[in-house]
Formats: sequence, structure tokens, C-alpha cells
Amino acid sequence: MIIDLSDEAQEFGRQAVRAFESAGGDQLVQRAEADPTTRDALAGGVLAELGVWDLEPRGDMDSLEAAAAVCRSAGYWALPYPVAERLSRPADLDVDGLLVVADNRPSGSIVGVEARWAAATLDGARHRVANSVPDGPAFVARLDLAPLDGDGAKDLALALTLPCWTLLGMLDRAMELTIAHVTMREQFGQPLSGFQGVQFQLTDGEVERAGLEVLAKYTLWSVGTGREEALDDALALRMAALEAAEVVFRVTHQLHGAVGFCDETTLSWLSRYSQPLRRLPLGVSATRDLLSTRVDRSGLVGLYS
Amino acid sequence: MSQEATALRQDLRDLVKKHVPEDFLGAFTNNPDDLEVAQAFCRLLAKRGLLCMSWPEEFGGRGSSAWEQTVVREEMWAHHEPRGAQYMGVNWVGPILMRHGTLEQQRRHLPPIASGEVIWCQGFSEPEAGSDLASLRTSATRDGDGWRINGQKIWTSYATMAQWCFLLARTSRGEKKQRGLTIFLVPMSDPAITVRPIGCLMGPHHLNEVFFDDLRVTEADVLGTVDDGWSIVGDVLAFERVGIARYARCERLLQLAPEALGDRWANLPAELRGRWVRMLTHCRRARLLAYRLVALQSAGQVKPTDSAAYRIAVTKLDQDSAEVLMEIAAAAGTEPEAELFRLEVEDHWRYSQASTVSSGSIEMQRILLSRTLLAAR
Repeated sequence: MIIDLSDEAQEFGRQAVRAFESAGGDQLVQRAEADPTTRDALAGGVLAELGVWDLEPRGDMDSLEAAAAVCRSAGYWALPYPVAERLSRPADLDVDGLLVVADNRPSGSIVGVEARWAAATLDGARHRVANSVPDGPAFVARLDLAPLDGDGAKDLALALTLPCWTLLGMLDRAMELTIAHVTMREQFGQPLSGFQGVQFQLTDGEVERAGLEVLAKYTLWSVGTGREEALDDALALRMAALEAAEVVFRVTHQLHGAVGFCDETTLSWLSRYSQPLRRLPLGVSATRDLLSTRVDRSGLVGLYS
Repeated sequence: MSQEATALRQDLRDLVKKHVPEDFLGAFTNNPDDLEVAQAFCRLLAKRGLLCMSWPEEFGGRGSSAWEQTVVREEMWAHHEPRGAQYMGVNWVGPILMRHGTLEQQRRHLPPIASGEVIWCQGFSEPEAGSDLASLRTSATRDGDGWRINGQKIWTSYATMAQWCFLLARTSRGEKKQRGLTIFLVPMSDPAITVRPIGCLMGPHHLNEVFFDDLRVTEADVLGTVDDGWSIVGDVLAFERVGIARYARCERLLQLAPEALGDRWANLPAELRGRWVRMLTHCRRARLLAYRLVALQSAGQVKPTDSAAYRIAVTKLDQDSAEVLMEIAAAAGTEPEAELFRLEVEDHWRYSQASTVSSGSIEMQRILLSRTLLAAR
């Protein structure tokens, strides 16, 4: 049984982490916030150089794994670019990317990115994004939609799964930063990491992060092999990802203390830029409701039930 | 998983269906028939070469893959462990004897385990030595050509039904408390051993006190090297690393719930059905964490601390799912299948209360995991 991404995909992910660092690392999101019109200029070049737009995640498993790996790397730096959404573009539409949106107040984190977007609601209706208007922090725009067709059901699983990989990258980084912080910061004459109360909070975060990692890989396999239940699997992943994010960001903020809210601290940026991923198209309760309605009495159908 | 593992899963399910009564809730009840079901099932598995299939061929096993062993763990636990207490002999007593036992000890103890005839208990915990096991006080002192053992063990599962005890005792005192400990293989039939059952919410046989009053054992009953028993304890824990496949029972009961409730399922509050699907997702997560561990183990890459995140996730799942299932079961009707579901859920809830305490408390797992996280920096 293969539980991890392929060696090639993992290596691609590592290359992407290095490339994003060279392109500006943590500064990228801060510069993009100051001027969202620079998002493409800040991140588009490095993504193209990496060959990200040559990937066909709907085409083959190698591409799919590489796409997941690069989304995770993008999350690690809170890269100010909708990589997962671009990679989710439907195979049968001439667009640059796909946003999964709610019926109410359809939105996407696309301010400042020039691209031709399609949007799909969770009932499978597809739309063209005719216009977008900035509507809040973290590059979120409200979308004006023009109906296209009802063929989007097949597009949803991937478009829900890849953003979870981005969120996973954010959780990787939040944990890494927090472990570094509690190791360095001293109180009462010893590093914070020496306190069991601190250690146990770290384990709460890590169990969630590690659990999300294995679920994300499983779901990728489900999506890549076209399992009938792929959309349910993707919703289950999304639900788990949102829960994990809630725990990890709560723990990592708490253990950073006041400095974790400061602009000079990367955690603060990760935390605020995780918000669109966690709220759009649906938050954790609505995702859980939708999943339980969809699976009804059959539960989650796995390989072993 | 391989085709062999998938076929094995079906074989085991067929055997359980045919040879284990539908209302079986484990061997540890006040009804002696339940123990006999488990004993007979072990003999049946042994006859079919399925009881010790993970053992090396030279010891009568089939050298089965780690994935086949995983399937056995899952299917047995999902169906209330129809091997009863014998899983311990198969999972770790036998393999430890293969690694550390003398030829004579292997000849004496391995065949009864392999044929499904013998129950072992583990004499580790003491009133003053739980998570801090190396602080134990039960002593073994030299007495001529043998040893004399005095002391008390506690929380000893299955001591009332066991024929043998895998006993850890102090044989000397040194600078480090982990030194000076020795493993003894002792017969529970000896009159110098007294077992006192402790009533508990999991039901009978789970918790006992065991008293050793001048128990006389010989040099031949020592396992491994005198004073070096702690290294064997480490091996025992390694065999137990993946542990019980708790997620398998959680998942079976959660999947069974809609069928058991019938038409009443639709009347459950949407919030409760939401918690139900959340628990199913957590089952999947725990299963995948277990599989990751098995994959690492198969590749020889697993470290003692690798299991901690899984153990924390699966024991919390056990308890969280039990709470959700108890709420669902309260809405079940009076039909026979609903009544059986209610009994199974009640049993699951009782067992789950101990899951964050037994076989290494969740606090110990947290300490292990945090050490790993901090050391990796």
C-alpha cells in the first residue's frame, strides 16, 4: 500500500518550496496585500518556470500528485496566488481556472489575478465569472456569474481536494514555526517547550496535521482513479481539513502568544490568509451537513467496508 | 492491499459468521459459554493455520505479510475479538519467546499457543508503578538454585482465566531503575499466587490484582538475561506498537447504525447525523494512520515514537465515536436487530472508557510525540 506521494512528486514539492523562497518567501504575501495587482507578477513567473501550468491533474496520476505537492508548497509560504484553483480548471471548458462557490454570495480569492474563471456550485451547475468586485480581506472578491451548463459535478472533487493540500501546507508551516518558537522563547528560566502544557498542545496540533496528511493522500487517489464516491471523499477531506485548521491555528496562535498576532510574524499572515480556504465555498458545519445529506444511510464507502 | 489480504478478510468474516453467535460480545462475561466460544474459535483458527499465521514458518506459522496481520487485527476486533485473551499469546508472547526464549522454553510454550489452547496474562503494572513501570517493587530474590518472588501486580487482565503469567520483577537495584529487572514465566496454577478480581465498568475478567507470596520458580523460568528484562519490555511494546485496531469496531458499528435504526434513522437530528459522518471520517483517518505505520514497519523504518500520533488519534476516536453511537442507539427501536445494536454499542462505550489509559496512557503517547517533534528541530 502506498501511503505517501511518489518520490518524484515529493521532490517537485521540495523544488517548489525552494523556488518560492527565492522569489521572496514570506515577503510575497505582504507585498501582494499592499498591491493585489502585483499578485501575478510576484508569483506567476515562478509558477510558470516550475512548469506548474503544464500539469494536467485531470489527466494522469503523476500530474495529479505533482499538482497536490505544489499546492502544499504554495500553502507553506501562503503564496499569494490561487494555484489550486488554476489547477482545477475543467478539461472541457476554455478557461484558466475553476472556483467552487456557494449559492449564496459566490466568492473567490481572485482579486488582482487576471484570468478567465469558471465557477461551479455544489449541485454541479457551472457558470462563467462575468465580473468580480473586491469584497473583503485576503483577496476575496464577490463574483457575478453567468450560467453555462449543469455539467460541473465531475469537476468538483478535484476542485475541493487541491485547496485542502494548500491548507495542509499552511498547517505544516504553522506547526514548524511554533515548534521553533517554543524551543527558543524562554519563560521562568526555561524554554517554553519544557512545559508539559505546551508539549501537549503541540501534540493536539500534530495529530490533526498528520491525520489530514494521510486523508489528503487517500482522497487524491480516490479522485485520480475516478471513484464513484470521489466527491463524498473530497467533502470528507474538506471537513477534516477545516477541523484540523481550527485546532492547529488555535494551538499555534496560543503558543506564539502576543507576537503571533504581529505583522512581523509569519504565523499572523498564514492565519489570516487561511481564512478564504476555510470559509469558501462552505465552512465546516455546512460542509458536514452537505456530506451527511449526500451519504445519507450508506456512510463513507471505503475499500474495506 | 493484496488479493491475499482481501481474500483473508472474507475468509475471516465467513468464519465469524458461521462459528461465533450473533450476540457474542467477547469472551469476558459471566457466561462461561462465551469463553468456550472464544476457545473453540481459537482452536478452529489454529486448525486452519490462521491463528499464528504471522509467525515464521520455522515456528509453525506462515510468515504472513504485515497487511495480512493487519486484516486479522481488524476483523477480530471489529467482531468483539472472538479469540478472547489468546490474542496476546499470538501477538507478542510467542514472538518474544522466539526472540529471547531458550530452546526448552520455546518447546514448552509455543505449541500450546499455536494450537489455541493457552491463555497468558501480563504481570507488569503495580499499585505504585503504572506509566512509570520501572519503579515496580515486586521482587525476585535468589533462593538456592532458583528464585523466590514476592509482591503484587494490579490491572492484570485475564488473570482469572490465564494459565501463565509473563511477569516482570526486580532482581537487583542499580543506579538506573531500568536495570535490575527480570522477566519470569510463571504458572498461574501455583498456590503461591492469588488472584483477586476487581469489579469494573468493562465487565468481569478485565482487571485483577495478583499477589505473589513466596512463589518459588527455577532458573529455567527466567526469560532472557537476569537484570536485563527492560530490553524485553521494549520488545513487547514494539510488538504492540500498532496495537488493537480500534477503528475497525468503531467503523463497523457506525456503518451498522442506519440499518439498526431502520425508519427511525431519518428522524435523527441533523446535527447527530453530522456527528456520525464526522466520526466515519475520523475512522478513515485513524485507519490510514495505522496503515502508514504498518507500511513503515514493513520497510523497517518505524521508530518507537512513530506510533504515538496514531495511538492518540485512535483512542480518542474510540471514545468520541462511543458517545455518538450511544446517542444514536438511544433512538433505536425494540426490534431484535435494534436491541442487539444497542447492546453492542453499550459494550463499545464501556471498553472505550479505558482506551486512553490501557496499553500506554494517552499522556505517555503525548510525551513521546512531543519529544519527537521537538527533537526533529
